[in-house]
Amino acid sequence: MHPQGVEAFPHYYVGINSLTDLATKDDRVCVLNITGGESRTVTPVSHVYSGGNIVCGTAPGRSGSKMKTSIGDIPVYDNIAEAVDAGHEFNVVVVYLPPSGVRDGVIEAIRVNPNLTKIVILTEKVPVRDARVIRAMGQMRGIDIFGANCLGLADAHNHVRIGGALGGSAPEESLLPGSVAIYSNSGNFTTTIAVYLATAGWGSTVSFSSGKDVYIHYAAPEWTHAFHADDRSKAAVMYIEPGGYYEHDLEFDKPVVACVVGRWKAKLTKACGHAGAIAGAGDNAMAKEEWFMNKFGVDDVFTPENPVCTEKGAVVLNIAHIPAAMTAVMEKRGAKPDFEPVGDLSLKCWFSNTQGIDLPDHLNPPVVEAMAPYNEQIAGLNEQVGVVFPRQSMKDASGASMMDPKTQVTKIHGTSVLDASTHNFEANLVQSLVREYPDANGEALANVALNTFVNQEGKVGLAAADAAREAGNSPNTALSAAVAMVGPKQVERSRNAASALVELFKKSGLEDPATDGFDFSAQLDAADTDTFLAESPCKCGFAMLAAIEARGAKSVFIEFLQALAAKRGSNLSCNVLAAAITTHLAWPALMRKRLSLTTIANMPWHFRIYSTLIGSAASAESQRKGNFCGVETKELMNSWSFTETAHLALLGKRPNDEELYAFSVLLGLIISNGPGTISAQGAKGAVAADGPEDPQRIQVNKGYIGFLTHTGYAHGGNGYEAIAFLLDRFRDSGLSDPGSEGHGLDLSSMATQYAKDYLAYKKKAKAEGNLAYAKIPCTGHPVFKGEDVNFDPREVFVGDLFKKRGDYNVFHEFYRELVQALYKTGVTRNVFCVNVDAVIAVLLLKMLWQPHAAGEIDDATMESAAFTTFLFGRMIGSAAEIDDHTNRGKNMDTRTAASKCSHVG
Amino acid sequence: MQITGMYWGSKLLKYVDFPTSEVLGPEATNDEIKGLIERHGEVFIKPMFKGGVGKKGKAGLLGRAKDISTATKEKARLYFAEHFHNNTYSKAEGVTFEGAVPAEYEIYFSITDSTEYRAPMITLTHHGGMDIEELPPEKIARIPFDPLTGLKGFVISNALRKLGAPKELVSPLVQNLPKLWDLFHNYGMTTLELNPIRMQSNKKGRLVPVACDFKCAFDGDDPNANRLGLPEDLDTSSYSDFELEVNSLRTYQGQSDVFVINEEGTISAMTFGGGANALVTELLGDAATISSDFGGNPPYAKMHDISRIVYKYWLEQSNVLFIIGGKANNTDIYETFRAMADALRDHFNKYGPQPLYVVVGRGGPNLVRGMGYMQDTLDSLGLPYQMFGFDSAMSEVVNYAQAADEWMKNGGREIVAKSMGIA
Repeated sequence: MHPQGVEAFPHYYVGINSLTDLATKDDRVCVLNITGGESRTVTPVSHVYSGGNIVCGTAPGRSGSKMKTSIGDIPVYDNIAEAVDAGHEFNVVVVYLPPSGVRDGVIEAIRVNPNLTKIVILTEKVPVRDARVIRAMGQMRGIDIFGANCLGLADAHNHVRIGGALGGSAPEESLLPGSVAIYSNSGNFTTTIAVYLATAGWGSTVSFSSGKDVYIHYAAPEWTHAFHADDRSKAAVMYIEPGGYYEHDLEFDKPVVACVVGRWKAKLTKACGHAGAIAGAGDNAMAKEEWFMNKFGVDDVFTPENPVCTEKGAVVLNIAHIPAAMTAVMEKRGAKPDFEPVGDLSLKCWFSNTQGIDLPDHLNPPVVEAMAPYNEQIAGLNEQVGVVFPRQSMKDASGASMMDPKTQVTKIHGTSVLDASTHNFEANLVQSLVREYPDANGEALANVALNTFVNQEGKVGLAAADAAREAGNSPNTALSAAVAMVGPKQVERSRNAASALVELFKKSGLEDPATDGFDFSAQLDAADTDTFLAESPCKCGFAMLAAIEARGAKSVFIEFLQALAAKRGSNLSCNVLAAAITTHLAWPALMRKRLSLTTIANMPWHFRIYSTLIGSAASAESQRKGNFCGVETKELMNSWSFTETAHLALLGKRPNDEELYAFSVLLGLIISNGPGTISAQGAKGAVAADGPEDPQRIQVNKGYIGFLTHTGYAHGGNGYEAIAFLLDRFRDSGLSDPGSEGHGLDLSSMATQYAKDYLAYKKKAKAEGNLAYAKIPCTGHPVFKGEDVNFDPREVFVGDLFKKRGDYNVFHEFYRELVQALYKTGVTRNVFCVNVDAVIAVLLLKMLWQPHAAGEIDDATMESAAFTTFLFGRMIGSAAEIDDHTNRGKNMDTRTAASKCSHVG
Repeated sequence: MQITGMYWGSKLLKYVDFPTSEVLGPEATNDEIKGLIERHGEVFIKPMFKGGVGKKGKAGLLGRAKDISTATKEKARLYFAEHFHNNTYSKAEGVTFEGAVPAEYEIYFSITDSTEYRAPMITLTHHGGMDIEELPPEKIARIPFDPLTGLKGFVISNALRKLGAPKELVSPLVQNLPKLWDLFHNYGMTTLELNPIRMQSNKKGRLVPVACDFKCAFDGDDPNANRLGLPEDLDTSSYSDFELEVNSLRTYQGQSDVFVINEEGTISAMTFGGGANALVTELLGDAATISSDFGGNPPYAKMHDISRIVYKYWLEQSNVLFIIGGKANNTDIYETFRAMADALRDHFNKYGPQPLYVVVGRGGPNLVRGMGYMQDTLDSLGLPYQMFGFDSAMSEVVNYAQAADEWMKNGGREIVAKSMGIA
């Protein structure tokens, strides 16, 4: 059933007679799934190393595109048939397809290309069922198949690499031409063994990673035959793991060092690592050691202390012993190494920190200079300040936020919004950029910086916002107008100052900028006057310094600026002081390389926008020079938290403790719903369109406009639906204080009555064929469903939070009664959850109930307040997305390929 | 996943219409058991173990009953039977009642993949009902066959002729055994074994093969097994909670294979690459908590998840966090190290700091950036560490990690805790 190949294998087909034929200069390659994650980095390196042996690749839907390499582009086709039709001739197919596609890919390759001689399968986790078929197909058509789960073939003499990443990203570093052929069940060890051999002066001919699936299509018997037929290969290393009888009947005519690893695997009851490395009693590691010992005529394994070997070979159990074993075996044959040893295998510590602990000598090896080019990279690393994120497509991806699909809880920089809701507004604003929460001193400084710029009196942005409101726009539209005015020129001085502070202090050894008595004399001498100081006095700057003092806050950077101004007889402006504060907040994370320099430079801009957005939410008539919503700006700077200021802007009064806590929780809960949410998409799209690969050009304020324009009555304004629903239920109830348990209302009856009314309404609507009947807002959830009684864990969390404080909310209790009543009256088939949107509504309504009941605010104002609250909270998450996308994104990376768009007629 | 026993075996064999003994599960009522005894004269009571558990009969874990009272007693004896085989402890969860099948012949039959022939292979003998290893080779037929054509009647017929099997066996086995290929190949199995198949006479006096015990293993990488709709917890006994949690992350990019070595271990090794996995696990021995292979260039999010789970289960008891691999060919060291470092910081934030010694040995793309990120993180956490280049012998780095573990055991842990201010 198979064509006759190499005569030594009469029972099955083998095409390769000698290792010289394994990876040749004449091989021409087509790569399947060439643009896949792994191939994208590996294939160009293989192509260049081999002098351009890849003629084409396939990737469904990408026909017509090209893979760029330094020696020319590789054309990409939808499938192999198209590549063949285009006139490409190749004899090798390399498979990078996902497991479910491997078998069909191989079948297609065999079907359309009669010239195929080799197929190299890189894919891991190919089902055994498919491997059976692949093997049989290759046999039927006379094709050598390598893998699966292999890393391909490389010939150091021919300078050819086919398939995977043998030798890594710099193959010539590891694949040094010599006389030893390498056969390895492990892909990584194929390269590692080549590197180890070089330390004893042995180079390689062919390196072959066989893979270690149950089916090894090109295995030890045929490799051994080809090794014997290759005159260049004087010896071989075989790295063998337990499982399978591939090596049982091998006979060697040339010396071999066999490394058999995996005695412990006898304890395994299931595969760990390589799928095929699960063995029975006859093919475990001990058995295999014995097979090879018998072949070599040795009675023990080789170790440096007990160098047992014959001229036929040696068995080692540790790959580090391979070079010595090879030298010992070859010495018995009078053969010398191929070249002078390259490096050695002694312990080389590249990075070390004992943290001041007095370790015994054997645990405290000296740090040595790494080999080139790593030594230069380490030297460069020591110079680098902050992190440099690799750029990638950030479409629908985020390094800032992540929603857990199981819990539906979003995390922002690793902190869940539930935990974030227990922090105040200013702390969350800082965390969105710095990734860590500030301490009390940091919060005090942040409050000064944020409150300094909140009063928008006389600002064109406030006039624009008011005009937008007058024109009937929603709050987000009005605030966009204000934010548009905070352009790059407005913050140029602050940004320059922030960057200059980093430059001055980066090598100063400063770790905690709240340290007392830090010696900045060198920085005082080096500082540039124009960057930090102003010729004329700045009232706002004085007020900031007074506010910092009033709050007892301290910062090395503020002290430095004050000393600089005193020394040079000049003045400090609020712009520079704001930069000092934001740099203070970011400093520890910057030094730990959690933040980039771009973030540091942009932080004053973000802060200015925070202040502008909150300030512009209050009307122009409520803002006067030095007075914001009836409170002196100075008082805000000296003693108010920014959470309180936001409450003031929104509701016109300073919150009491209970209100402040509820307001903080509310803002925390709505920080983010992950990168897929519309507001995040707007922010990310705005950044992508400016081109983050040149981060200087990103208009941070435009990012916020992107977020704001991507909210609206349906996204952000919809919290009002539940408020309106609750207003209808409680409007005539006589409720005076929603925070008092003694409200005197029978919530259960109210809920039951409503449920009955709703049931009747629903039946009637259905009978009339109206399936678009009104749904009850904020009950039920697409994930938290199906149990007899359902809970949204976020709602439960917040409920518990308030319960622990002894805070009562009648609207929340009503919602909980309502879901029970809906079940009992038969509206729902089980007890629906009260979802997190209801929590937001009940918190807001509780805050607004009394002014609403007193007629101070109407329904429209209530709706506007609900929407604006959402914007305040979501601003935190959007800041994180804007900064993240600026740091990691690529130009225009949020666009959707035309092929994935559809036309609707 | 492995399955043994006729409770599930009979259900699977029904997919291909292969005759089986009549089986009742642990939920059977006394009336049903009585009925079974009346129909078959005798029942066998066998404990139900999850996963692949062999040699039960030899351990006396088999009951026989010809009346309901004996059957009930045997049920009570075997319902929670304990069994130790191949270094593995198992506890039964229920029993099956299987109608006796009187027969003259007992057949052993299996399908597996042979690494000698690199093809599927049947193993067949009519001297079944005993351990196949105990039979001389000439009494066993091992025949490979072409998976493209499948297992055909002529393969069975030739095998039986080679064995010199009685002629009356040939026709019923040729008719029925090829059905098993459909079950084996189309539902993602790697092993299927029926031992014994008892050859029972039907009313016409012809022999009919009846499967009386069943064993199979499924390929974890083959989604076809899901088509059987087997309960997910059928084989959970062989996976720890930790392994299950990591396995839930399995995707084709990036290995996430783990195996618990010693629940009391003190070195937790994040190992990259199948080869490194074999070498490191062997050298660490029982000092290791887990054996792992996280190679294959896992993306950041997956590596972060894996690290989070590993730390959650094993870090508290560990003296040494050991990150080890060879010179990676394609795994991005920066991405994987950043994920491990971030997860470590998150772990300390969530569970509080703990004394730990960190040892790293690695090579590959973006190596220095990755080590630099790890360095910054460990410095900020105040943990002592050493990172070795890939030109250090991996085994020497393992020795170093063991030495660090010894030092931590002998007072070092307290010293590190003190230096971190948490003593």
